[in-house]
Amino acid sequence: METSLNLRPPRSDRSFDDAAAAQMERIIADLGVMYQERNRALREVASAHHEALLRLALAAELRDDDTGVHIIRIGHLAEALALKCGEAPRFAQMLRHAAPMHDVGKIGVPDHVLKKPGTYTQEEREVMKRHPVIGAQILGRSRIPLFQLAAEVAMSHHERWDGTGYPLGLAREAIPISGRIVAVVDFFDALTMDRCYRKAYADDEALSMLAEQSGAAFDPRLVEQLLSNATEFIALRNRITDHPPSLESLAEAA
Amino acid sequence: MKKILVVDDHADIRKLVRMTLEFEDCEVHEAFDAHSALEAAAVLRPDIVLLDVMMPGDLDGLDVCRRLKANTELAGIHVLLLSARGHARDREAGMQAGADAYMVKPFSPLQLIGHISNSWATA
Repeated sequence: METSLNLRPPRSDRSFDDAAAAQMERIIADLGVMYQERNRALREVASAHHEALLRLALAAELRDDDTGVHIIRIGHLAEALALKCGEAPRFAQMLRHAAPMHDVGKIGVPDHVLKKPGTYTQEEREVMKRHPVIGAQILGRSRIPLFQLAAEVAMSHHERWDGTGYPLGLAREAIPISGRIVAVVDFFDALTMDRCYRKAYADDEALSMLAEQSGAAFDPRLVEQLLSNATEFIALRNRITDHPPSLESLAEAA
Repeated sequence: MKKILVVDDHADIRKLVRMTLEFEDCEVHEAFDAHSALEAAAVLRPDIVLLDVMMPGDLDGLDVCRRLKANTELAGIHVLLLSARGHARDREAGMQAGADAYMVKPFSPLQLIGHISNSWATA
């Protein structure tokens, strides 16, 4: 696309030897092809990471929620909350892919505990409380940054703002922001879905339960952001429930 | 699609720069001296101008850069100087003229395209 202006360059503005110029152009053309191929390969690697994570998450989730939509919602809600709290878009996007893995450690919790209706015995509770560590062990040995973040989320999503959570009993900002965010969106989303041991809570009920936990279980700043943008978060949640994206499209949306 | 104006008095360099820019989707236009660059910029309103510093004529690339940056109608235009002069003081002069970036010739195609895609992402 030449300029449409009538600006003619002077006749003498070429100075490379013809053969050398042609050879340089050839090299640049090849470089262009390699550049495109490299970018395609990088995108494929990234999407392979995402897909592997998602499939692992779905496998773990299968026993709890046979649709698997909960974990997809958790990803999107976590991303949205991270953005509202001023986290970098790059981080928020990674969190969307990592957050669905938060409960992968439940793979190591036997059915008679995981699916038990009613209250746990002390012993069963201890078994249940192992799932963050199991999840972190499954994910954490990887060098892939996305898996590292997923391990962090798995490890920290049951910590509580007041320091009475598990497994480490971390408090306030000592809990990674990834885990604090996922804890909030997981709580809200889980309340508003049917479970084998209870019916779903209504949205406003779930929101007031969330508000009650501000400063106790959850980072008040995050709760505040979710509550003040509740309509937006609920719309996002409903959109995913009504039109769950395919796993392939999720993995590709890098 | 981004619109990019390539200004260099050397046709072979313009061609190599154009080929590099076309690694990504973009619309490339060319100008060969300061005056044709200013005229083309006013009409085309490019997103990015790749500007040679040493060009024949009464104005050099630094003058063009200053004028582009002073033109309120072209607010937000991104100017990348491409120069054979690589001294710290040359770079300094370029940045003082208002350039957003300064790259030394012979230009690295990967560095150039990397810079262009970054200014894309932040635009």
